[in-house]
Amino acid sequence: MKKTVLDYILKVRLPLTLFVIILAFMFTFFASKKERDGIGYAPVQPIDYSHKLHAGDLGIDCEYCHTGVTKGRHALVPSVNICMNCHSVARKDKPEIVKLTEYYEKGIMLPWKRIHKVPEYAYFNHSVHVNTGIECETCHGEIKTMEIVSQVRGWTMGDCLECHRDPHEQLPYLKEVSYGPEHCAACHR
Amino acid sequence: MSNSTSDNKVWKSIKEYNNEESVLKAKQDEFNDGVTDDFSPENLNGISRRRFLALLGASAAFATTACSDYRDKGEIIPYNQRPEGVLPGTPNFYASSIQDGSESYGVLVKVREGRPIKIDGNPEHPINKGKVNDRVQASIMNLYDPSRLQKPEKEGFKKNWFSVNKEIIPKLETAVAEGKEIAIVTNTITSPLTKKILGDFQEKFPTAKVYSYDLTNNSQKVSAWEKCYGTKEIPSIKWNEANVILSLEGDFLGREGNTVENARLYAQRRDIVDHAEFNRLYVSESSLSLTGLNADYRLRVRPDSQYMFVMSLLSEIIVKRNVSDVSVDAAVRNKLNEFSIDGFIKNCNLTSERVYALVDDLLANKGKAIIYAGDSLPEEVHIAVNLLNEVLGNTEVYNYENSSLNTDWNVSADIRHLIEDMNEGKVAVTIHFDSDPVYHLKGDWNYSEALSKVETKIALTEFENDTSAKCKYVLAIHHALESWGDSITRKNVYTLQQPVIDPIFRSRQKESILISWMNNGSVTFDASQKALMEVFKTEVYDKLNLSVSFDQFWFNALHDGFVVLNETVSEKPNYNFTSFTSMNDKMPTEDYCIQLQPSYYVGDGKYANNGWLQELPHPASKVTWDNYAAVSPTTAKELNLENGDYIEVSVENRKLKIPIMIQPGAMDLVVTIELGYGRKVIGDVGKESGFNGAELFGADSYSPWIFNNAKVAKVDGSYELASTQEHHALDDTFVKDFHKIRKIIKEGTVEEYKKDHHFLHKGKHAIFSISEDRKYEDNKWAMAIDLNKCISCGSCVTSCNVENNVPVVGKDQVAVGREMQWIRIDRYYSGTPDDPEVSSQPMLCQHCDNAPCENVCPVNATNHSPDGLNQMAYNRCVGTRYCANNCPYKVRRFNFYNFRAHVADSFYDNELSYLANNPEVTVRSRGVMEKCTFCVQRISEERSNAIKDNREVDGNNVVTACQEACPTDAIVFGDSNDVNSKVSKYRKHDLAYHVLEELNVRPNVTYLAKLRNTHSEGNA
Repeated sequence: MKKTVLDYILKVRLPLTLFVIILAFMFTFFASKKERDGIGYAPVQPIDYSHKLHAGDLGIDCEYCHTGVTKGRHALVPSVNICMNCHSVARKDKPEIVKLTEYYEKGIMLPWKRIHKVPEYAYFNHSVHVNTGIECETCHGEIKTMEIVSQVRGWTMGDCLECHRDPHEQLPYLKEVSYGPEHCAACHR
Repeated sequence: MSNSTSDNKVWKSIKEYNNEESVLKAKQDEFNDGVTDDFSPENLNGISRRRFLALLGASAAFATTACSDYRDKGEIIPYNQRPEGVLPGTPNFYASSIQDGSESYGVLVKVREGRPIKIDGNPEHPINKGKVNDRVQASIMNLYDPSRLQKPEKEGFKKNWFSVNKEIIPKLETAVAEGKEIAIVTNTITSPLTKKILGDFQEKFPTAKVYSYDLTNNSQKVSAWEKCYGTKEIPSIKWNEANVILSLEGDFLGREGNTVENARLYAQRRDIVDHAEFNRLYVSESSLSLTGLNADYRLRVRPDSQYMFVMSLLSEIIVKRNVSDVSVDAAVRNKLNEFSIDGFIKNCNLTSERVYALVDDLLANKGKAIIYAGDSLPEEVHIAVNLLNEVLGNTEVYNYENSSLNTDWNVSADIRHLIEDMNEGKVAVTIHFDSDPVYHLKGDWNYSEALSKVETKIALTEFENDTSAKCKYVLAIHHALESWGDSITRKNVYTLQQPVIDPIFRSRQKESILISWMNNGSVTFDASQKALMEVFKTEVYDKLNLSVSFDQFWFNALHDGFVVLNETVSEKPNYNFTSFTSMNDKMPTEDYCIQLQPSYYVGDGKYANNGWLQELPHPASKVTWDNYAAVSPTTAKELNLENGDYIEVSVENRKLKIPIMIQPGAMDLVVTIELGYGRKVIGDVGKESGFNGAELFGADSYSPWIFNNAKVAKVDGSYELASTQEHHALDDTFVKDFHKIRKIIKEGTVEEYKKDHHFLHKGKHAIFSISEDRKYEDNKWAMAIDLNKCISCGSCVTSCNVENNVPVVGKDQVAVGREMQWIRIDRYYSGTPDDPEVSSQPMLCQHCDNAPCENVCPVNATNHSPDGLNQMAYNRCVGTRYCANNCPYKVRRFNFYNFRAHVADSFYDNELSYLANNPEVTVRSRGVMEKCTFCVQRISEERSNAIKDNREVDGNNVVTACQEACPTDAIVFGDSNDVNSKVSKYRKHDLAYHVLEELNVRPNVTYLAKLRNTHSEGNA
């Protein structure tokens, strides 16, 4: 039988092309997973605030500012008056503090950029996790060393279930931790 | 009457009773005809103006996002200074009150991030004790109604307050200078604050007069009481102490007085778990009311025969049996001589056993019974009923502690007088103080014509209405949740109202508007608050002689929402016999009798633009979105009428064309029409809903709401009434007496139960499962509904709607069976259509252990949780509807549209309406299935609280929305693994049963069978 162009296309060209496409897709899929999950996202904030300085060097407790974290759904980004508890006295001359004071005194809202966001169809509750003894760093990373906060873990259902299914591995510091709920209504309602 | 329904055929509609083909077919199909139709893309939402703008906005937003940083997740904007006590993500509760007609309900408003999202009763309020009616619950939708007036308007153009005040104030001043009248037209006012402001206003403008009226009220009862006892203060009734209740045309569970209080006290005597001695309820009425369908015995009596009924009872008891607790003189006896119980029985064609059983019951329970006459009946009936209660010593069950004050604003002159004055040109300015007389005062009143002769017409209103359309100045006022206020409706209970949200629009509180006119246009934002504090000081604080400072007391009172005063409780006054002897007899006619009744849900029309209330099925007929003329099956046959056919009702020269609904149990020759529908000027949702019965009002009536000289004729045409009665039928048509075999409704009598506690489960056999039972380790959620206590008022449905963001679907969608309510109240009739026995049953997702819906879901979107919930993951659902098809209880609801964008031209698809949504519950969109979740958000809340407090989850702390709203506490929810929980006790009760038990799907909703407190057979 005579080899035709069609044969060549079907037997060699097509599989090769498909293979390359699939390979490219797979590569992009896995390579971009982090990016798509938002890992490494570190937007510029309206105030050049350093978690490293406050939480790390000064050792201020997370809950001092994130007051809601043991009480309800939201950890709460601190309202400006909490900043002013110290900064009405401390470091008043620094340009960023001057900016902050202006926000406070004029009553302007401070639009922090959102970094971590649970998908909208899931209902996450900070207090449930923190009151169980899970440390902030488990999900948010080493905040105490971050000059600029960025996202370090994925925020997908798979990421949630990783811990819920295997808390002993993921949370070695918790001796008596029970399994997290896995049923739909635990997060979706 | 038989002792139970067990020998009767159970039916839901007359068509079904007659085994009509169409009904049989409908039952075999899961979805009604038309439910699954019209899925061609062209039939999906057409592009309307509103929709187009929404799409335009959305696409612009989409384009902007697409061009921006795709990783951007928006902003988190914290408070600048967080208010103390406000924690975003957790609700705050504020005590306030909401006025509904002439009743005032103490409420607790749930507020999330500054927006109210749910209204429930204030548990500490002495009258309504934690429960409120449907209207108060659903009034939250009025707050976020996009058709609310946003600014003051002059001749349809938006103005600012300064400019309208600048024009109005000189007009008021001119009227005073010229000696012409300023008329303020209002509904019943129970607020001391409003009374004070109106008084001040009259001082400033001496020609001002206040006129108050209501579409329906208890004026007949009050004037009778005044004649009998010389006071307007009517004691409340200790329903819980009455062994026998006879209600004459009186819907005390559904529409009259404080229904929440009445229902609570009534149901205390229906609590089988608490071993209560059951009361016996006799209802004598013409159309099936909510109270009537709960009756043990129902007597079908024309409204204009009720007078004869009471007089015959009096005659039987005083003259024939010679029983009386009070000394009765000859004049009274003379008046009674012409009446006899046999004559009445003959006249009304009643079963004499039933009437004599009633007489015997009343005599056997002297001092422990109550006869109650409805608000629509004329004064004379009330006077006679008062005497009957005196004679039987039933005044023992009167409660003077928190009696109704009925201290309406002192009406300076009759409203008829006002209309005359307006016609004669004596009135220069008419101010409609949150009232709609053009719509209410129709028929003989002809208010709108009189109004046209007034020079300056002003309307203070939340929404455009028929009256505001005729007014030059239309001034936007606050919703109750934005206002300061107070009320005294019951003795010694002063209820406060505080705003729970900043005014959404540039409206003003109605009191503030009057204050501004008194102060030459200037008013501070807190004028009403300051005025209220002044009133509070003189009316409450000064009278109580307290040692605490005013400020402290004020803030405490605001926190509690009410203050209990300590005025002396009045003594029971003596009955004035001349009121009885001097009254004229009110005898029935042979003509058609028209009865106008208040609506169950839309009030006097104020709530006619509220989709939740419009879509709540009528308790008896299950009709939504419309009113209708209820007629008996026999009358319909005589006139050759079918459901929806038009009739023309005429009283003298006043006519009304209205479709009919055949109501089983209605009295022949009586036409019952509900008021509050048929508003002409209204928002898009309430447009073209119903017919205005007020057209029939006239002075030639039997009582203001009863006309026994009417004519009724069939006219051409018919109208579609959307009734849910035949939707979601559970029964199997191949089996005639399905209820017996399938056990959907199980009932018995009190005597049967006393004889044998286990009578319900006789002949029951064990059901085996071929699969292994699943173990539930920690909690297992379950619900129990006591059908003895359920009065089928529908409060649970509204509460569920508000809590779970259940959309309004619109009349066209209800008509094809697409209503979305997660809980419905099924209505079954048994017996004959003329004189049926009624059973009702709230039906919701049963959360079956072996749920049939779960097996058939191809994507596992519905499955079982380890705590016994039948879960629904909306994001997984692809909308095959297999689950709904396989559900034996027919409780799954499918989003055939994005209903918010579908109803009334995207009426509810706007930023404002979305504020009413509960942020704890997903808003479902098109193409997904949904159903009752057992309020999983509240279970989650308890779980997080348990973790916070480091304790076990306690099932008693979880209160579902329906349970919270149930005025009789018929619904119990909790952990059935906890043997001490209330729900476990209910599940183990002798009367407990599951619907369709033989399917072995193991439902987690248990029903307690209803016991009827009828006489044993042979006795009656």
